[in-house]
Amino acid sequence: MKPLQSIWHFRSLLTKCCCHGQLHSCPLPSVATKMGYVMGLHNWRPKSLLDTTRVSLTFSSQLRKKHQDSHALWKHEAMQKYLETLRKEYQQVSRLLNAGSINDFEERSLKRRHADLSPVAALFQEIKEAEREVQELEAMCKELDSRDEKQLLELALEEKETLDKKINTLCRKLFQILVPKEKYDGSHVILEVTAGRTTGGDICQQFTKEMFEMYQNYADYKCWTFDILNYTPAEIGGLHHAAAQISGDDVYRHLKYEGGIHRVQRIPETGLSSRMQRIHTGTMSVIVLPQPEEVNIKVDPKDLRIDTFRAKGAGGQHVNKTDSAVRIVHLPTGLTVECQQERSQQMNREIALRTLRAKLYQQIIEKQLSQEQSARKLQLGTRAQSERIRTYNFTQDRVTDHRISYDARNIKEILSGKEALDKLINRLLEFAEVEALTEYLENLQSLERGS
Amino acid sequence: MRYLTRPLLVRFLGLSSRCVSVGLSQTKTLMLSPKQLSLRQSFSTRAGLVTAVDVVKYWQKVFETNGIPEAQESSEYIVSFVLGAKTLQSLNSKILCAPLTAVQQERIRQLSTKRLQRMPVQYVLGEWDFQDLTLKMRPPVFIPRPETEDLVSLVVEEGSQKCEEKNSGLLYPAAAPHPVILEIGCGSGAIALSLLCKLPQSRVIAVDKEKAAVDLTRENAQRLQLQDRIHILHHDVSSSSAKQLLPWGPVDFIVSNPPYVFYEDMAFLAPEIFRYEDLNALDGGDDGMKVIRTILALAPSLLKDSGSVFLEVDPRHPEMVENWLQTHPNWLLTLCAIHKDFCGKPRFLHIQKQSR
Repeated sequence: MKPLQSIWHFRSLLTKCCCHGQLHSCPLPSVATKMGYVMGLHNWRPKSLLDTTRVSLTFSSQLRKKHQDSHALWKHEAMQKYLETLRKEYQQVSRLLNAGSINDFEERSLKRRHADLSPVAALFQEIKEAEREVQELEAMCKELDSRDEKQLLELALEEKETLDKKINTLCRKLFQILVPKEKYDGSHVILEVTAGRTTGGDICQQFTKEMFEMYQNYADYKCWTFDILNYTPAEIGGLHHAAAQISGDDVYRHLKYEGGIHRVQRIPETGLSSRMQRIHTGTMSVIVLPQPEEVNIKVDPKDLRIDTFRAKGAGGQHVNKTDSAVRIVHLPTGLTVECQQERSQQMNREIALRTLRAKLYQQIIEKQLSQEQSARKLQLGTRAQSERIRTYNFTQDRVTDHRISYDARNIKEILSGKEALDKLINRLLEFAEVEALTEYLENLQSLERGS
Repeated sequence: MRYLTRPLLVRFLGLSSRCVSVGLSQTKTLMLSPKQLSLRQSFSTRAGLVTAVDVVKYWQKVFETNGIPEAQESSEYIVSFVLGAKTLQSLNSKILCAPLTAVQQERIRQLSTKRLQRMPVQYVLGEWDFQDLTLKMRPPVFIPRPETEDLVSLVVEEGSQKCEEKNSGLLYPAAAPHPVILEIGCGSGAIALSLLCKLPQSRVIAVDKEKAAVDLTRENAQRLQLQDRIHILHHDVSSSSAKQLLPWGPVDFIVSNPPYVFYEDMAFLAPEIFRYEDLNALDGGDDGMKVIRTILALAPSLLKDSGSVFLEVDPRHPEMVENWLQTHPNWLLTLCAIHKDFCGKPRFLHIQKQSR
């Protein structure tokens, strides 16, 4: 088992202390310099990180090379200095508010800042105290060990373990507050699956079918709605491509790292390939598109070409056709969406338009994200990338996520789309949080260095 | 008997002898020919096990062989229906690849047999969708066309705006925005019931000269629990009395998809339409304007001031309607907008009654 085990024991606890949604403004000091002026400290800056430049040069590479551990990140000097800054700022803000000699506008900003920083300061305090307790326990353990008091030693070790777990929980909680919330996390999504190409056999198509059902079950497990927009079976059996709209709480946040190429390795039980008893490899791709709120994307009807069946001649009462399939082409970008999900042409048109808006929105997001030039390991699966993100090996009963080098057992459990898949996804989320935070700190440092 | 022109007569004889006269030879009892039987066998790869996908392919082939238009769509709709879904695309893979029971296969065969008789799919299934509603369909009541969905959207847009106007205008403080809509020629009730759903404050008077249409509209209204907001009348608007059309006084809107087919075009209607639908719901007389003229003549006495008439028409009608209205200036009706359908053809007319 990989070294992230310590965190995983209390992942269930973490899902319950979900603070990430509560703060709209990040406590990280984007307004820190402004605050300096407000408080009359003209030269005040979050100076702490400047002192750690030497350390920080290797900060990112160190952390990236090791497994991404919340507690390890906490212990890192750069993080410590940074948190110390925030704590000092919190004290200053509190002092100013108590003094009361400030105008209304300043008071409002200070109050907001105070609200943002108080959970950070509180957690910082808690973690520090817990660490002190652990130190005491360690000293106690050494003594008990030298005195050979086996029973007491055991108890002490147990308590130390509990405390270690508590510290990890608190660290995770702290980071969830500090990490800048991603813009589109709360959105609903459109999930698309497509079978890869093979030289023969139906392994890709069968696998695609299983994957689509896995996500359908997962949506059910998370109490999201799963509406199929498009379902195209393959001629040779299995699924060629399909799309679904998934709505609910924080759907995009959970599914955004599912996008990419998934690979399967198995000995097929049935079908043309089964006689050979060789291990076959197949692939399928998943694309996850956050779906925008209605107001965000305006599509000019003039930019659309809507193709439907319609007879030549007068149309209307003269004709009775049941073909209600709709295809919409967005002329400026060439994006095409099809829908024949409903019997009503108007309904199909509405669904196609919604999907088109989502895809256009996605293009905008992609542009924004690519401009940020993220060096992260976990990329958002917005379009079909050539990189394999996960391998499902049936013969060895193992699922490997290549981005976080994580192995999970019991493929059947994972494909059933319940706890096992949720566990895997939460691993990815934690990894992403640590990465995001690391990146944020790096950016802050480079800003400091530059100024 | 109106339809005595040669092409129509041929069609009429075809109708009365209930034979499939277009294209291929088939016996009355529609025994599967050896060709059809071998097709069936070729689709049962496993002993006796047939999946939905197999059956769709099979009946599509049969329809194609017999010259039935929309062979694939017809087959897909029928099979989906028997499996409890609306379209093949909405069924998940488990259902698509599961074997069909003998009962299901038999049901599909029964429905497909009707389709082989050129019965429209909507009558074969006994239901169809209009916007987000599912309505019962029954011959010979006219089947709603896709264009008409956009007519409803048009009226809804106008209806919502009108409510807002009334709210902001201080002249009508007591008047609640409850639009009263009269539909002439309600057929299956598609337009009337859609409007009731999309304009929750509205009330509708639906009228049709065919008893079968009145009954079907009533049935659909009850299935959708809208019967309290709709008055359904069996009445021919071309008769003199129009008083019974005003149980709630003058109306805000008159909506209609009146018969607008030109008489000369009736002969060229597909067998699905000609043999099964009520031709009176289609025939608009020589210039397709007969019923349109009747409605426009009635409108002034039925409409409130600034009330509107919304009509679906043939693409040749907008100009004809404009001219007709100009010859009756005392009606105070003006053609204020012509809207296109999704094929870009001028299809919907918005006529407004000027206030005095």
